[in-house]
Amino acid sequence: MDVWNLLLNGFAIAATPVNLMWAFIGCVIGTGIGVLPGLGPAVTVAMLLPITAQVEPTASMIFFAGIYYGAMYGGSTTSILLNTPGETGTMVTALEGFKMAKSGRAGAALATSAIGSFVAGTIATMLVTLFAPIVAEFAVKLGPPEYFMLMLLAFTTVSAVLGKSTVRGLTALFLGLAVGLVGLDQISGQVRYTGGIPEFMDGIEVVLVAVGLFAVGECLYTALYEGRSELQLNTMGTVHMTRQEWRRSWPAWLRGTALGFPFGTIPAGGTEIPTFLSYGIERKLSKHPEEFGTTGAIEGVAGPEAANNAAVTATLVPLLTLGIPTSVTAAVLLSALQNYGINAGPQLFQTSSNLVWALIASLYIGNVMLLVLNLPLVGLWVKLLAIPRPQLYAGILIFATVGVYGMRQSAFDLYLMLGIGLVGVLMRRFDFPTAPVIVGMILGPLAEAQMRNALSIGEGHWRVFVDRPMSLGLLILVILVLLLPRLLALRAAMAQDAAAKG
Amino acid sequence: MSSPATLHQTFVGMGALLVGAVLAFGATGIPANAGYAGVGPNFLPWVVAVVLVVCGAWLIWEARTGGYRALETPSGAARGDWAALAWVAAGVAVNAMLINRAGFILACTACFMLAVRGLRLSEGKPHGGPKGLVIDFVTGFLIAGPAFWMFTKVLAINLPGLTASGWL
Repeated sequence: MDVWNLLLNGFAIAATPVNLMWAFIGCVIGTGIGVLPGLGPAVTVAMLLPITAQVEPTASMIFFAGIYYGAMYGGSTTSILLNTPGETGTMVTALEGFKMAKSGRAGAALATSAIGSFVAGTIATMLVTLFAPIVAEFAVKLGPPEYFMLMLLAFTTVSAVLGKSTVRGLTALFLGLAVGLVGLDQISGQVRYTGGIPEFMDGIEVVLVAVGLFAVGECLYTALYEGRSELQLNTMGTVHMTRQEWRRSWPAWLRGTALGFPFGTIPAGGTEIPTFLSYGIERKLSKHPEEFGTTGAIEGVAGPEAANNAAVTATLVPLLTLGIPTSVTAAVLLSALQNYGINAGPQLFQTSSNLVWALIASLYIGNVMLLVLNLPLVGLWVKLLAIPRPQLYAGILIFATVGVYGMRQSAFDLYLMLGIGLVGVLMRRFDFPTAPVIVGMILGPLAEAQMRNALSIGEGHWRVFVDRPMSLGLLILVILVLLLPRLLALRAAMAQDAAAKG
Repeated sequence: MSSPATLHQTFVGMGALLVGAVLAFGATGIPANAGYAGVGPNFLPWVVAVVLVVCGAWLIWEARTGGYRALETPSGAARGDWAALAWVAAGVAVNAMLINRAGFILACTACFMLAVRGLRLSEGKPHGGPKGLVIDFVTGFLIAGPAFWMFTKVLAINLPGLTASGWL
């Protein structure tokens, strides 16, 4: 079957009333948690992971994807009106969006971000439709050594390259790997690091760590440090763009999409780089540079928003074709698949073809739903921001309990969640990145299995990683990714030195 | 000449070092049985332990030589409101203690009441006396109740009730 038929088949599955309902609920919840400060898509999906015990895989993946997507739409609303970005991806939106809102153009900012998200999301979904099967076909040829190198690349980029400090990124990554070690070893069945506690035999659930770090950690941090921080809510006005604003938004959306998509597909994690790059480019190209940072420029909202959504959509390519998550939410989605005993990877397109194509089809549908939910109905969502902070965060704790306790009915997990929450407070206070913890704990056991399988193939020789050309190529890429930014920084510093002397 | 920041950062580094040391101690108890692969189940534990010890030492060194590099100033107040933190943490702990005895709804309502009290304290607002307690109880119940019914009745997730009726 060619791609077109597969996609039509996907639409047939995604458009059944039940699946449409799941997509819609996902979009609604996603937009809601995107608007609310304090909750992100990763932790929301994590809290809802217990439903994987009851709901069938296709429906729950459609549901989770709706949440992931919806949070990106909703997050920009909060960035524009409240200047507290809900997600890292909408941080840049806050730069210009909040300025626009302050000078009375919140409506235009909200419109360009919602429509831009729709344009970027739809184009990116088309690209996923076209490219994911090709990547999957190629990925079937990869063996354990190549997989291990790909995972090593993901580890390197997510911890050492993206963050501000290599040592803090590495500490976070290896904490995650340490958490992933607890329980039974996948290959030999050896028990590791359970300390005689029976609850640890099955390993530590990702729900527990994600909810502890993000939801409970956020709640504790707010109580400890944020009590006196005042928030100022901008008034919204009508959601409308003038003809000139349309003209200024279009090229920015397209450029943002072109920039965001490739960054989402490579295991370089995160939406921060493409959104910041897009902001920089729009600022350089704009015919109205005087508006940037003063009254707010519409390009500075349109470009990064599009880049954000394109990157988020593109993370599905490595997730579905290689089984490698490049963002925290993708990591949680991977563990949802694991709960069903489905191995994400190139075989997924053959073994679970219906699931994959229904998921992709649901993205097209979800984008339309989200446009409707976010443009005419934005006024409803803004009302959520009126919930007082104490009740909001205390309420989050109740849902955290549902997720963590619902997973395996153990009160022990709730104490552990509190402990992880306290670690989360420390990490936030001392500026440790949290994404590497989650990626490390989920990808760690997979990477270990691939490494040991690769070494078995090589009969115990590490040479196996350099003897195979693909694996060697990836290894060189890992080294380049590690060294290049440092060399560039060094060169810049030397150039500065020379300039200072000369 | 150690400022509080230096001290705190050193402690965090020592924490990482300690985790690494504990992992290393644990790794000594894991057999190697490597088989064909040449590395066994104890290989990654040793790698993780050694890297964490190195990272911990590196963090301590950074802390003692001018503080963590490229550190972003954390958001919020400079000094923590520890009483507020204690209330919220107590909420989660009470929830864990009660959930198997009093059921999901009541345990979560208690957690909500304690957490709201802590968060309101951190904002410097009064807790509202007995009337406030009643309002918090009702609010918490109105969140925990529907959440319980939705997850147990609609999604068939197993959450504990106080009675066998399935409604409380």
